[in-house]
Amino acid sequence: MAETYTFDAKDLAEIEKLTAKYPEKQAAVLPVLWYAQDKFGHSDPAVQKLVSETLGVPEAHIRGVVSFYTQFYDKPMGKNVLDVCTCLSCQVCGGYDMLHYIEEKLGIKAGETTPDGQFSLQSVECLGACGYAPMLQVTNDKFVNHLTREKVDKLIEDLKAGNKPEFESNPMPQHEKGS
Amino acid sequence: MPEIFIDNKRYEYEKPGKVLQFMLDNGLDLPFFCYHPSLSIPANCRQCMVKAGMPVFDREKGTFETDENGDRVIRFFPKLMTACSLDLADGIVVHTHHTDDLVKQAQADNLEFILINHPLDCPICDQAGECPLQILTYKYGPEGSRFEHKKVHKPKAIQLGPRVILDAERCINCTRCVRFTDEISKSYQLSIISRGDKNYPMTANDQEFDDPYSLNTVDICPVGALTSADFRFRARVWEMNQTPSIDMSNGKGCSTWLWTRDNMVLRVTPRFNEEVNDHWMPDAGRLAYRKFNENRISRPHMRPDETEQVRTSWNNARLTLLEELEKVSPADILVIGSPHASVEDNYALRTCFSRLGVSKFLFVPHIESGSGDGFLITDDQAPNANGVRSLGFEETEGKALAKLIETKKPRLIAILDDDLIGRTDLTREHFSEAWTVVWGTNHNDTTQAADLVIPVTTAAEHAASYVNVDGRIQRTVPAKETMYTNRRLNLEMSMGRLDHYGTKFDNWVTDANRVDCIPAWEFLIRLEDDGAASGWESSRQIMEEIAKAFPAYREVSYDRMDEENGIQLKLEQDSEVKTA
Repeated sequence: MAETYTFDAKDLAEIEKLTAKYPEKQAAVLPVLWYAQDKFGHSDPAVQKLVSETLGVPEAHIRGVVSFYTQFYDKPMGKNVLDVCTCLSCQVCGGYDMLHYIEEKLGIKAGETTPDGQFSLQSVECLGACGYAPMLQVTNDKFVNHLTREKVDKLIEDLKAGNKPEFESNPMPQHEKGS
Repeated sequence: MPEIFIDNKRYEYEKPGKVLQFMLDNGLDLPFFCYHPSLSIPANCRQCMVKAGMPVFDREKGTFETDENGDRVIRFFPKLMTACSLDLADGIVVHTHHTDDLVKQAQADNLEFILINHPLDCPICDQAGECPLQILTYKYGPEGSRFEHKKVHKPKAIQLGPRVILDAERCINCTRCVRFTDEISKSYQLSIISRGDKNYPMTANDQEFDDPYSLNTVDICPVGALTSADFRFRARVWEMNQTPSIDMSNGKGCSTWLWTRDNMVLRVTPRFNEEVNDHWMPDAGRLAYRKFNENRISRPHMRPDETEQVRTSWNNARLTLLEELEKVSPADILVIGSPHASVEDNYALRTCFSRLGVSKFLFVPHIESGSGDGFLITDDQAPNANGVRSLGFEETEGKALAKLIETKKPRLIAILDDDLIGRTDLTREHFSEAWTVVWGTNHNDTTQAADLVIPVTTAAEHAASYVNVDGRIQRTVPAKETMYTNRRLNLEMSMGRLDHYGTKFDNWVTDANRVDCIPAWEFLIRLEDDGAASGWESSRQIMEEIAKAFPAYREVSYDRMDEENGIQLKLEQDSEVKTA
């Protein structure tokens, strides 16, 4: 690991605030990892080590946490990370079709990053939006729902242009008027 | 007394506890993988499920509700409970697979899930034969597999640390190894990584699993996921003999099993002893088995002149020593006992040389300050420092001993099994002016410098007692045959399948593995000119004599040591003992 990561005084103050919320240090692992990933863009082994040393939580435990969640990136990722859900509901609604379409379009496989560092693609488990299947999530943020090829094309164009997708409200059928 | 009903049978319990542990204590069977009596209870394998319920209590009447037959009405928990985490409660009713078909089905189904991604490696797996998964599958599992898909593949044969190898596919994620490093060894080196069917235990990035207790995870692994790098592929467990013994590599004296095949000790594993080591032992003690097999002294060695040592007969060794003893006066003899030798051998040495008129007996404790960790690794590197001390041997230091030899210039030095040159300030020059006899197990600097070397048995070959740093006396049982012992005749020795059904002429019997050596006391009684004046025929008898002669050893006997897994002695010197 060529790069070394450090927390400055401001970071440490923030982390202190986070840990103060919990009775035990171990409970603060998730929020502190989020903080670190926001700062460094990923949670690779060097970042895990930093978090472990800062919190005094065993490094093996941090690795276990990072590797458990697809939301934590254990290696540097592209500017936009596309998490395509391929869990059950999305799968039956065409999640894999969407994943393979994006793979073809970007010329990378799931788990890889485009050479220009613009996009990373991941196949992930359920993101809790089964009602809007198939769907994907952009860089741990907005969901893009009811995916179609056109929607994917537009999304990628937008992201290339630097426009993040907007939050999209999808009322469930039972909540719609008159039903 | 509170009561519990298991499979319609009533039991009483005294202390609060868990249902699974209670059942195990009472000899009842229930399958489980993740539970370990010395670790926390995560209940994650889900194998010990039972149907459990409590009697319905009528608060108004203040009695238990009964049905038309007069039996208590039981309100069962809506789902099956894991017995490992289920508290004992007064009146609780438990049904296991013996009385409940749902439980039986649940256990079989759960095993089917556990086995889904488990490779059918058993023929090449080291754990086979002592594998809970294998055993419980035979006993409780489904008969065949219904799984027709490709199993999930994970990394195999990863060198997790210097002594442990991981096969991730075999892992059933019971987390025993993780809990061991978190709760017992406190190295926190392991964690389960990834999730779902892809997970397995792993260290932090680029870290080695170099915990000094790492091999305990191999013992508690209920499958062949963690195996010992040293023992891997060396032997099948059903071909080996298992003999109770104690750890010789440090002062704690952990209770151990010695596993032998064809008269070679192949591995050492911990034996449960609540008073000393619980279920654990340090890695160093396991790897010390090599001392029993390698570099052994076989047949007496002597140095006729200033040249190399040569092998000689036992009779010649005896006569030579007697001859040398006659030449010197008792004041010119320096006798050094050993914290590495047993209580019996030290006592025999003392008795024998007392008869010759020697009155001063020394020994040098083998302490390496700072190497202990307060758990099972001690500063004391020898298994019997307290034993030698309690027999009236005078404690001295390496430097003081060197000075003593330089100033007093003894003409004969007798050293019981102890590598004084290798570990203290003594040099070969200290032996140059005296005639030196050494009773030794393995070739080392001291035996090489000696004029006469008497090969003696190791802890794996004799029955003898050792007193640990806490003053607990424990004993060994012979596991390896010497040239002069025989498994079939010595009823204390264990017999494995190969010993039972084999003959001397089978190709798995190697005569060379039997070392030409005898216990030190057996040689010492031969020095008595009136022919075995002490009348000892076994180390058991020597211990009986010690028990009579020394107040600290009162009521100590082999039978009691076997019965109670060692006996705590009340030693005066206890306060001086460094327990690291």
